[in-house]
Amino acid sequence: MTTSHLADRASDEPDVDLQPLRFTVNGTLETLEVESRRTLAEVLREELGLTGTHLGCEHGVCGACTVIVDGDAARACLLLAVQVEGASIETIESLADGDDLHPIQEAMREHHGFQCAFCAPGFLMTLKALLDVEPAPTRDQLREELSGNLCRCTGYASILDGACAAVRAIQAGTNNA
Amino acid sequence: MREAIAGKLVGTRVRRVEDRRLLTGQGCYVDDVQVPNMAHAAFVRSPHAHARIRSIDVAAARRHPGVVAVITGADIEAITNPFIGMFSVAGLYDPRFYSLARERVRHVGDPVAIVVAESRRVAEDASDLVEVDYEELQAVATSGQALADGAPAIWEKAPDNLLLTHSHTYGDVDAVFADADRVITQRFRQHRVSNQPMETRGIVVEVDAATGTTTVHAATQSAHSLKWALALMSDRQTVRTSVKELLAHRDRPARFVAGVKAMLAANPEMKQGGNPMMGVIAKQMRRDPRRLVDMQRAMVGLLAKDRADRPEVLARDIGGAFGTKASVSREEMAVYAAARHIGRSVKWIEDRNEHLMVGGHARDEMIDISVALRNDGVILGMRAALTLDGGAYPSFPFGATMFAQIMRVMIPGPYRIPVLRFDTTVVATNKATYVAYRGPWAVETWVRERMLDVIAREMRISRADIRLRNIVGPDELPTPMVTGPMLDVRVSAKATLERALDVADFDAWPAAQIEARNAGRILGLGVATFIEAAPGPPGFTEALVPGMGSMAGGEPAHVVLEADGMVSVITQQVPHGQGHETTLAQVAADELGVPIAAVRVIYGDTTVTPFSVVGTGGSRSAALAGGVVTFGARALRDEVLDIAADLLEASRDDLVVEDGNIHVVGTPARGIGFAAVAAEARRRGSTAPGTEAIRITQEYDGGEGGWTQATHVCWVEIDLETGQVTIPRYVVVEDCGEIINPAIVDGQIRGGVAQGVGAVLYEKIDYDASGQFQTGTFMDYLIPTAVEIPDIEIHHVETPSDIPANYRGVGEGGMILAPAALTNAIEDALAHLGVRITEQHLPPTRILELAGVIPR
Amino acid sequence: MKMRGFQYHRPSTLDDALALLGEHGDEAKVLAGGQSLVPMMAMRLSSPGQLIDIGAVAGHDAVTEADGDVIIAARVRHATMEASEIVRSAAPLVSAAAPFIGHRAIRNRGTVCGSIAHADPAAELPAVALALDARVVLQSAKDRRVVDAADFFLGYLSTAIADGELLTEVRFPTRAKRSGWSVQEVSRRHGDFALVGTAVQIDLNGSGAVARAGIALFGVGSTPVRIAAAEALLVGHRPTAASWAEAAATVAREVDPLEDNHATSAYRRHVAGVLTRRALEQASARAKAKVKP
Repeated sequence: MTTSHLADRASDEPDVDLQPLRFTVNGTLETLEVESRRTLAEVLREELGLTGTHLGCEHGVCGACTVIVDGDAARACLLLAVQVEGASIETIESLADGDDLHPIQEAMREHHGFQCAFCAPGFLMTLKALLDVEPAPTRDQLREELSGNLCRCTGYASILDGACAAVRAIQAGTNNA
Repeated sequence: MREAIAGKLVGTRVRRVEDRRLLTGQGCYVDDVQVPNMAHAAFVRSPHAHARIRSIDVAAARRHPGVVAVITGADIEAITNPFIGMFSVAGLYDPRFYSLARERVRHVGDPVAIVVAESRRVAEDASDLVEVDYEELQAVATSGQALADGAPAIWEKAPDNLLLTHSHTYGDVDAVFADADRVITQRFRQHRVSNQPMETRGIVVEVDAATGTTTVHAATQSAHSLKWALALMSDRQTVRTSVKELLAHRDRPARFVAGVKAMLAANPEMKQGGNPMMGVIAKQMRRDPRRLVDMQRAMVGLLAKDRADRPEVLARDIGGAFGTKASVSREEMAVYAAARHIGRSVKWIEDRNEHLMVGGHARDEMIDISVALRNDGVILGMRAALTLDGGAYPSFPFGATMFAQIMRVMIPGPYRIPVLRFDTTVVATNKATYVAYRGPWAVETWVRERMLDVIAREMRISRADIRLRNIVGPDELPTPMVTGPMLDVRVSAKATLERALDVADFDAWPAAQIEARNAGRILGLGVATFIEAAPGPPGFTEALVPGMGSMAGGEPAHVVLEADGMVSVITQQVPHGQGHETTLAQVAADELGVPIAAVRVIYGDTTVTPFSVVGTGGSRSAALAGGVVTFGARALRDEVLDIAADLLEASRDDLVVEDGNIHVVGTPARGIGFAAVAAEARRRGSTAPGTEAIRITQEYDGGEGGWTQATHVCWVEIDLETGQVTIPRYVVVEDCGEIINPAIVDGQIRGGVAQGVGAVLYEKIDYDASGQFQTGTFMDYLIPTAVEIPDIEIHHVETPSDIPANYRGVGEGGMILAPAALTNAIEDALAHLGVRITEQHLPPTRILELAGVIPR
Repeated sequence: MKMRGFQYHRPSTLDDALALLGEHGDEAKVLAGGQSLVPMMAMRLSSPGQLIDIGAVAGHDAVTEADGDVIIAARVRHATMEASEIVRSAAPLVSAAAPFIGHRAIRNRGTVCGSIAHADPAAELPAVALALDARVVLQSAKDRRVVDAADFFLGYLSTAIADGELLTEVRFPTRAKRSGWSVQEVSRRHGDFALVGTAVQIDLNGSGAVARAGIALFGVGSTPVRIAAAEALLVGHRPTAASWAEAAATVAREVDPLEDNHATSAYRRHVAGVLTRRALEQASARAKAKVKP
């Protein structure tokens, strides 16, 4: 894992509050030192190169940065990286198994879920967290559960179609689409 | 996998090529770009709507640890050229301005300095340390204030705050109005909204210190226009140097002049149409003589410059734009200039607050409309006066001036409007830049379709009948619009209207509405119809601005057979969600007879893509890119078959291509692949570059072009206790010609409708009366969620045609038409209370005010 | 949109957290879920010098029931509260507010005590606390005091929490046997802060008359407000449609809402009445149903 020069330079500055951080990301234990004011999203993107987690608003409304923290969906822009000390994080990069797409990804692809797809990682991780605990939501429940994620391209119908198909695929226990 | 089956891909829901990358987090958006030794920029912005800058003190900021440079307006004026408008129409004043403000700030968020530091957070820390001493000036927050007597002038050379005024008259309007049975007049206002793609704007200027070359990683809708705009504005030389270099490289201007001569020879009408432009340009120069120097510097310097001094632009994945990334922003220019100045790579990613404040606003128009009518509801003529609040700094390279022309040309829509007068006024105010937003001219459709309902109610004619009596039917085609463009035989707006009325069971509606009302439910239904130039008939651009037509140019593409037998489609389009990697591959694969996986679409890289200033926008890509790829692939197929015929020792006419296998009819086992043809082409001494075997360079002028049309029907239910509006049903009936990928077409339509719903019920960019910006977060500017957007039923009408590549655009229509259908439905729901809707933003408060439930 | 720097602390015990709070006084902010604080810091509207993260403090993460109260400890997240059987049966008005709080990803991190300490006047839980006569426990290194909700909300984002104090518990009284409750709100979009909303609970006595009524409005001023005049109209009477209407009219008369970009004062006033009537109708129906929710 490369450390960007940003962190190196930051450590030269006088009143920079550096904190140690150990946490698990997509199954790998990461040990680094980060400035306390950096968000989880920034550290995932800039220090760990996991740029699939997108920053859309940085104030917790758009949901593009949603990741899974200890099993629950959370906004990575509203968490300081230092807050997830000891936690286990899942990002969009962990969803597919090598070349095999996750059923949620496969269903979204089949249904043209997204267009520009900048919001997609947030939707997919929100949905993953939901389906891990609630495997059979209705379309209306999905609409409600996904309402914390903004999409500006699609009008949401294709995302809901994909989400419903993902539910069916997971229920059927199949991995194809 | 159905995509693997070569053959007819066009017309099927082929899964997107992009998705494997984008759904796994492997996309590369501009913020994902990290280059070595990259610094980060933040802007110092005006907190005032209008103020004089007395002084700027950057000393503390420069001293702050981690700061690389602080650059102010004065620095920028020394190292760059100003933004100068590229448009020349009568009555236009184009303000001259730089990427950073120097003496005066003209809206909240106006950038006054750029801070470059080792990280964005340090750049923001240092921004806080820049001390700007402002002398506040009276601000102009609305077009009404701007036009009032004694209003402060935002631009010195436009003391009346008028950036554009002109008037167009088609036919004897006064006589028609004098003789009409009735004249109905209404004022309509549309509020300011914003595109707000989920990815903000951003740029990474990568300076390679060793070679001196610059690569601009950008989120842009037009890679080439960004490249040339940056080059043009950063080429700040003395006039003497420019002339010296010009003389040293005499071949370049000579080639340019030869090119212009050839273009004029090929387009004699341009000479004719272009003449008025020359007069306008001369007038602009007289008004602001510095313009002459600016243009001379930019143009002459540019022509003389070595290629290595120009940037190359690289646009990869883009997180939406809806028009705003078609502009070259002042921030992009400032970041580019800063990076070049300090000789180091710089990244700037606009944050959401900045994007809401300065990333591009749209609409904010008012139209006064009068319609002359016969007693039976037949329209005799129309007068419309547009007042457009353009904000302070015009969008570059095009914006309000251009869109006002489209509003004028399009306001008749698919209806017979025998005479028309259209007055245009573009006003400067202390607000942020007015940019393109998905159907930037949409106010013409909203006002016309609203007005048709107003007329219907005033004249006690059904809202369906007023449309059916005036809409152009197939028996009248082809026929020109009063404003010039031709409605060709494929115009099917009337068919979409009839089908929509049928789907909606419109005749049964009044009874259903009353029955519901008796049961305590307030329901409404709205209908609206439009046509959209996507890309428009031949000569459409000429109707907008005479002389512009041939300057826009055709659509270029390279279609290439690679050495390994793969096919590359190299396009000037810069897709940002439209799925061109899929749709253009579908078109090419069908023409060539290869599987879609054998086609790769290459875009966004100015080192390889063909030149065009247009990029992706204006709902043009289906028709123009779809067309050029059709013809380019067809030409490549011809060359491939010529070689294959030799290799197979067969007659070309006996060859077929199936799933990439070229063979004599009936003997697929003895066929050859495209790789064999490529090898043979290279053996024969291909002149194609690099690893290519055959390169076709194709250009397409749009052919017959044409129109997209649609009718939307919207149902609403209104809670008269809380003012909340819900949309239980929404129907779209549309005709965009032959559909390349139905899933993508439907997605474009639904996305557009969602933005229209957003504009009416949720979204508003707000300034207070003193020009203070009010909507700087996503808790203030409300993008609708999955709960607010209804399911949308889509019905397709396709008018049969023999025209090849009969594809038309569908990107903007949903957003153009939805506000009309929705506001018509809301008026219908409240009509029994005497409500007339003349504004477009209808949040719960406004609904209850209109319904008389609460005081205003 | 990057926050200013601060000194970060991650105490592992409550005592350590309180000691840090005592040491840093008004320079310190407590970070619980951070769902309100972090965006304010990102926009540089709040720039504490010291940030005390109680996320690693042992314990204080459970919902319990004792002494006639449902006790929600400092680190209990909205999602935990939402799923709590104790809250659902003993303080159902609190449960009823949960779905209105942001979206699930917010509820997964935000805390109940944090929301009350933040005291956003358009938020649900402060109004619920007020309607139920909840009490909050404020602890400092030296002291522990219990403050009634009625005395807690002092102004816009301003509470009775003194420098050095941490809100360690909120105690919601367990509901009476025959009680009904309702949260009603109107927001611009699903999941947004309310334009206006109301939290209502009524308890009926053996004869079916109203023994106690709590009506609290949110989104109508700088703090959540209890409308005593409307409650007084109901107490001692059997609920009827007419009394709901009268109480609702009183609410609309009593509130003095602010205007902002999302709604006018007149709108909020009107809808405060409408929602109160709807809430009383629903609460009454629930109270009369005599069945557990």
